[in-house]
Amino acid sequence: MPAVTFDRVTVAVETDNTPEPKVLIDAVSLELTEQRIGVIGANGSGKSTVLRLVNGLVQPTAGKVTVDGADTVRNVRTVRRNVGFVFTDPLSQLVMPTGREDVELSLRRSVRNGTERRQAAEAALDRLGLLELADQSIYELSGGERQLMALAAVLAVNPSVLVLDEPSTLLDLRNRELLRRTLAGLDQQIIMSTHDLELALEMDRVLVIEEGEVVFDGGAAAAVDHYRMLCRDGLPAGKPR
Amino acid sequence: MRGHGFLLANYVPGQSFIHRAPLALKFLLVFGCGLASFIVVDWRVSLAVLAGLCGLFLLTGAGLKKLWAAIRPLAAVLLVIGVFQWWMLGAPTAARIVLNILVCVVAASLLTATTPVQRLLDGVVRAAGPFKRFGADPERFALTIAIMLRSIPYIAGTFADVRDSARARGLERNPRALILPVFITSVAFARQTGEALAARGLGEAED
Repeated sequence: MPAVTFDRVTVAVETDNTPEPKVLIDAVSLELTEQRIGVIGANGSGKSTVLRLVNGLVQPTAGKVTVDGADTVRNVRTVRRNVGFVFTDPLSQLVMPTGREDVELSLRRSVRNGTERRQAAEAALDRLGLLELADQSIYELSGGERQLMALAAVLAVNPSVLVLDEPSTLLDLRNRELLRRTLAGLDQQIIMSTHDLELALEMDRVLVIEEGEVVFDGGAAAAVDHYRMLCRDGLPAGKPR
Repeated sequence: MRGHGFLLANYVPGQSFIHRAPLALKFLLVFGCGLASFIVVDWRVSLAVLAGLCGLFLLTGAGLKKLWAAIRPLAAVLLVIGVFQWWMLGAPTAARIVLNILVCVVAASLLTATTPVQRLLDGVVRAAGPFKRFGADPERFALTIAIMLRSIPYIAGTFADVRDSARARGLERNPRALILPVFITSVAFARQTGEALAARGLGEAED
């Protein structure tokens, strides 16, 4: 498995409301070598920032993130070739009108010949069982199909690491199951943030993020228990009216 | 989000002579129609050209429904333009202007309905090739076209959504309630698209 390392990574952003920069991630150090890694935590805890650091979409204010030795700031192009990123909303990710065209767009840099590109796109779609939906408008697809289409476009260039930012949030139960099964069959290293604790329980390792810090790092069951406890402790006392 | 009818017709697979025609010829047809819209002064000529283009469109096998889908989103705008021009300049000029716009839309739809987007982008890359010596990246030209094709229906859909929410709140006559949300959503969409492209390594300079 490729190694993703965080070396005392801090991310801080300027805000209008406070004189001091707001710290989104605070001196986090990690070495991620497991195949399936989950990231859980409340909204605004810093999960997405952690994921975006892996792909170089967010750059550290201090510290360093590397993927297989490649620095996400200095070697961002190498990193992005190796790290695929799937967003929560596939509609913001799919650029072309149909899935086939979007997968072909992913392949434009790596496969110059049009016929070969078309064949490679068909193979990528077929791998996820999407060939029949290849020529449908992305707006005619269900949420799950759209998410799988976005996944196919990312997997087409064969990244070694796949980062998914809450991929199941917009999906119903059936589509969530479809996505879960698809992810289970992939060879890539997967780093995924999620609010779906059942999905988190299937990971090899789970990080619990709270206010920009990793407050728990370990096995899935223990991490989910820790997160549940955090959520209970954070609730206001008394019965809701 | 609803209202994402594509302004131009999506590609319809087929084997018609228009499908098989060289891309440059189809580009020339669109260019020629655009140019003619400035030159033609008789509405009857515009009508004849439009009829010819509609005939060609139907010969591709894409169907009347697809043709109507390409024109329909413009119907309200064309009506407003037509009435205004009729009031200002008279019926023949109004008819010519409306027909010329339709000629351009149908010609462009003929191109997009018979050419896969990737072939279209390959054509753009080839056409932009000579600019490479000046430091331009032809792939970025193609990506710009792709994003434009994607953004038009998205923004049209956003407008439909915003209009519905304004109507639900009784604000359909308030231009601020329509324009501001569409503007903000469009900027957010542009940012998301940029981020998604960056994440996929698209639009970066060639190695």
